[in-house]
Amino acid sequence: MAVANYHVSLNGLSHVFSDGRPLEALRNITLGVPHRQFLSIIGPSGCGKSTLLRLIGGLLHPTSGTAEVDGAEPVRAQRTREVGYIFQDPALLPWRTVLGNIRLPLEIGSRSRRGAPGAEELLDLVGLSEFSGYYPHQLSGGMQQRVAIARGLVFDPSLLLMDEPFGALDEITRQAMRYELLRLWEAHGRRTVLFVTHSVAEAVTLSDRVVVLSGRPGSVRADIDIELARPRTEETERGRPFRDYADTLRGLLKEAGDGVA
Amino acid sequence: MALPSALRALPRSVAVYVLPPAIALAVILLFWEWYVGWRDISIIVVPPPSEVVERFFEDPGFFWRQGWYTFFEATLGLIAGTTFALAFAVLMSHSRPAERALFPLAIGIKVTPLVAVGPVLVIAMGFGTEPKVAMAALLCFFPTLVNAITGFRDVNAGSLEFMRSLHASPWQVFWKLRLPSALPYLFVALKITYPLALTGAVVAEWFVGNRGLGLVIYRANSNLDTPTLFAAVAVLALTGVMIYALVSLVERRVLFWHESVRSTE
Repeated sequence: MAVANYHVSLNGLSHVFSDGRPLEALRNITLGVPHRQFLSIIGPSGCGKSTLLRLIGGLLHPTSGTAEVDGAEPVRAQRTREVGYIFQDPALLPWRTVLGNIRLPLEIGSRSRRGAPGAEELLDLVGLSEFSGYYPHQLSGGMQQRVAIARGLVFDPSLLLMDEPFGALDEITRQAMRYELLRLWEAHGRRTVLFVTHSVAEAVTLSDRVVVLSGRPGSVRADIDIELARPRTEETERGRPFRDYADTLRGLLKEAGDGVA
Repeated sequence: MALPSALRALPRSVAVYVLPPAIALAVILLFWEWYVGWRDISIIVVPPPSEVVERFFEDPGFFWRQGWYTFFEATLGLIAGTTFALAFAVLMSHSRPAERALFPLAIGIKVTPLVAVGPVLVIAMGFGTEPKVAMAALLCFFPTLVNAITGFRDVNAGSLEFMRSLHASPWQVFWKLRLPSALPYLFVALKITYPLALTGAVVAEWFVGNRGLGLVIYRANSNLDTPTLFAAVAVLALTGVMIYALVSLVERRVLFWHESVRSTE
């Protein structure tokens, strides 16, 4: 593997949680993610998908193996704001306006990146310009998540880690958000995205490549390239190739221990 | 609920917040007035409200002035006690060893009875305003401390993780996340401690004896001047109610984002 060329490089990555009874979350993950790839990670509940993302984002230190971002420790990427993190819970600060929330990373960072989009511009990009002065409790779940996405982009990071960002939304909103995300991704120069999801359809629609993890302890069970033309639309979802991919992935998921579509 | 047209003419806030307690109070006072007369209770034991009101209006300026002194001392004490409590809370919420070391001391302060502390303070600080402020401060310390520590720790886990993902320093996390998250707790503490500070100032005045409603109460008690005693207590009670209303008002504006304030009728 030409390790130096990968944006994210995992080598024999394993993690064991040791408060109380030892819990082996991940075992021997070896994976290379090239720049600008949209990679989805799917797997049964509890297989360590979130742990994997946390290790890559520098929020956890692996018990063995390595995780590298641009050839260095994830913490370094965190420090230089190269990584944007979007969680399932938007966790907006309720005492701040929408705009205030989007600006939060800028207040914490020591410097803003040149050419990084302004907060207002990002707000416009996610279609919420009229809501800049609103407070989180006045917004729906989908809108809050859009704010969280804008917030994750404010540093213009080259790597985005998204942990089931649409998990708490209803099916219709999820669908709409899927295409919103694709639109944003295309419009903003296709940065590298690592996307954790439970939804096979979501993974196929969004990604260039899907990795299936086995049940706990999570290890790589399958690694499939999605060769569907972009831009992808609802039309794509109705086509035969899409359904084939979805069926294959669902089959792999079932084997891995969970029947969720 | 259908209201008579006269009531409907009032502004809503008066009708909802002022009228019910005012009516309840009026009922109580009427009953009191009647009962004291019916049972022929001596004015020294329990004066009827009419006597108390008469005594008050003989020299309302006197009562207000003494009330102001007490209020002033209580407020200074509140500021001092709250400041110390917050400083300790910041330390203790960030360091478990510090918490373990200092918490027993805090409980010790809490448990010591006021009446024992009063003379000690006067001996230490003399016969001025200082011991009264100190007494009020001591009373405010523990509730604020406990609420602040809990408040600083009770942050949304998702928000905390988000800030960590941005490589935020502990100071940034405190200032931008922990402190605002703690505000609901701090207001709860304030609703408890401000009236407590008032009580503390009054008790301290018994020992210092130079001015304030506490002194008025003490002297009236010695002279068996019960109407004055009751008048002073009434002014004290009114001050307490006004303080509480003020804190609630500020709370509603500052905590506009919090469920506790939003989910009112």
